[in-house]
Amino acid sequence: MISQKVAQQSLRRLAVQQPYAMRWSLMNSASPAAVAMGRFMQTRQAATNSKTSDPTKILAQQRLNRPVSPHLSIYRPQITWIGSSLHRITGFALSGALYLYATAYLASPFLGLHLESASVAAAFAALPIAAKVLVKGFMALPFTYHCMNGVRHLVWDLGRGITNQQVIKSGWTVVGLSVLSALTLAFL
Amino acid sequence: MASIARQSSLLRQTCLSAFRSPFAAKNGAGVSQVVAFHASSKKQILPPLPQSIQGTMNDPAPIPTPHPSEGSYHWTFERVISAGLVPLTIAPFAAGSLNPVMDAVLCSFIVLHSHIGFQAAIIDYFPGRRVPKTRTFCNWLLRGFTLTTAIGLYEFETNDVGVTEALKRVWKA
Amino acid sequence: MAALRSTSRFVASAKPLFRPSIFARSYATVDPAAQDPSPSETPRNKTFHIYRWNPDQPTEKPKMQSYSLDLNKTGPMMLDALIRIKNEIDPTLTFRRSCREGICGSCAMNIDGVNTLACLCRIPTETSKESRIYPLPHTYVVKDLVPDLTQFYKQYKSIKPYLQRDTKTEDGLEFRQSPEDRKKLDGLYECILCACCSTSCPSYWWNSEEYLGPAILLQSYRWLADSRDEKTAERKHALDNSMSVYRCHTILNCSRTCPKGLNPARAIAEIKKLMAAH
Repeated sequence: MISQKVAQQSLRRLAVQQPYAMRWSLMNSASPAAVAMGRFMQTRQAATNSKTSDPTKILAQQRLNRPVSPHLSIYRPQITWIGSSLHRITGFALSGALYLYATAYLASPFLGLHLESASVAAAFAALPIAAKVLVKGFMALPFTYHCMNGVRHLVWDLGRGITNQQVIKSGWTVVGLSVLSALTLAFL
Repeated sequence: MASIARQSSLLRQTCLSAFRSPFAAKNGAGVSQVVAFHASSKKQILPPLPQSIQGTMNDPAPIPTPHPSEGSYHWTFERVISAGLVPLTIAPFAAGSLNPVMDAVLCSFIVLHSHIGFQAAIIDYFPGRRVPKTRTFCNWLLRGFTLTTAIGLYEFETNDVGVTEALKRVWKA
Repeated sequence: MAALRSTSRFVASAKPLFRPSIFARSYATVDPAAQDPSPSETPRNKTFHIYRWNPDQPTEKPKMQSYSLDLNKTGPMMLDALIRIKNEIDPTLTFRRSCREGICGSCAMNIDGVNTLACLCRIPTETSKESRIYPLPHTYVVKDLVPDLTQFYKQYKSIKPYLQRDTKTEDGLEFRQSPEDRKKLDGLYECILCACCSTSCPSYWWNSEEYLGPAILLQSYRWLADSRDEKTAERKHALDNSMSVYRCHTILNCSRTCPKGLNPARAIAEIKKLMAAH
């Protein structure tokens, strides 16, 4: 302990008087061999900069600034996810229409609406032919697409037909078939 | 030693080439343009929150509490209903329309199927941790609507001609 | 082998074999002197738009920066283009890369709208089409093309991706497996966890906090399918909730995008079948 202190003091003196010599001596004494043999005592003065912020918080702070990379807007349109989102949208349209109609039918006596099948059919019959075909087509297409794609989903759930080639092929098949059957239904 | 040498040479090359590469000189620094990025519009519906990580990096992500009635049983139930809907949907096209019993079965299957579908969408788009109140509200709204739909369809089935028959009449009108 | 190649090149191009090389040349750059004179000497310039964001300027919004490269002087892969941009045009461009042969999964990014590994993705040769490079979709960006995958790794840890057994084999030696059982792991163990599939999944985009995503579920199935693992019931039980597995709506972007040609969607379908059976 005492010897260490003496060495330190002499080093300091040396540094003040002959800075170059100090550097030399340090370079020599701090050689890896000297460190390994324990001849060189590493001393560290009291910490100069006291950190006020918790260093573990730095990363958490940085995370808060991070943007989220773009997703829907940049992903290439593929039959897989476009088809799936169409499945959900068509399902919404169909179920939403049913929900609205059934709820409105329940409320019709109180609202004074006439939503019985006879009056709806009569109202529909009054439409011009083109409007009829258009309305039928718009109603049939979500139905046919959702049904056929639903069968595709059920087949996948059995663990079949999930290779890329099969998925692409069946996807476009469903698109084609649903458009064809919707057109057929529209002109029925 | 070798790796150090390689690193330094690479580094030197990178630094030098960044400034002196003939290519860079030809192309006028090579950077033709910088455009602002427009993919994230201000009108995002539910923009993701700033990133926060629970626990340290080495902790596994928490496992949700097992809930078979929301998990495997729910899934199996949903598939059974969907699979059941297939023949029920084809049958009216083959037979013209369904008898009242089958029509009621079809309606109840469709209501269940719709309810599960809407529910899945609510779980997907309104994460419980993020918007708990909206989630609860949507769930109760859906339950209410499903109930009125079910009652409405019951009324329709009992007082009117039945869903398949009604659709057929409207379609042929 | 190297000697053979250099000899053949010497014969083919009759260029001096030993050229004074001052600077080490990175593999991303094709040295024009070493290359055969191509039939068309016209430069084939292609534009690359690259997503940039610098954490040192957090208030600045992410932007797209454009770089132009001559494809005659660039290697065939997207990673070559990126490295060349970094080496020769803009040293601040940041991306991860390591093995350059599709086994480390570091260079996973969204190239021309599809998630893939830059090292396995050829640069489309039509120079009229401009390439767009983004980080993996719906990830938090550390810098430029570097996404933060902490959550992904934490989720991987949560499925306990290791062999769990309570019993020892009868002879006390290694846990053996029949060739048929081993065959069940084909197409599962090859996953390199590059996160291409998970970040291509819209369901994972919206619910990455709780939904495990295709990559982790593929790994989950890898341990469920392993005949040596004895904790199958526990593993299935841990997945039996509305979020972990059942946010999968068989969108199938995962299988479509996997740069290793694996089929995470099939693995998830198998998990669902297993779960339904128990």
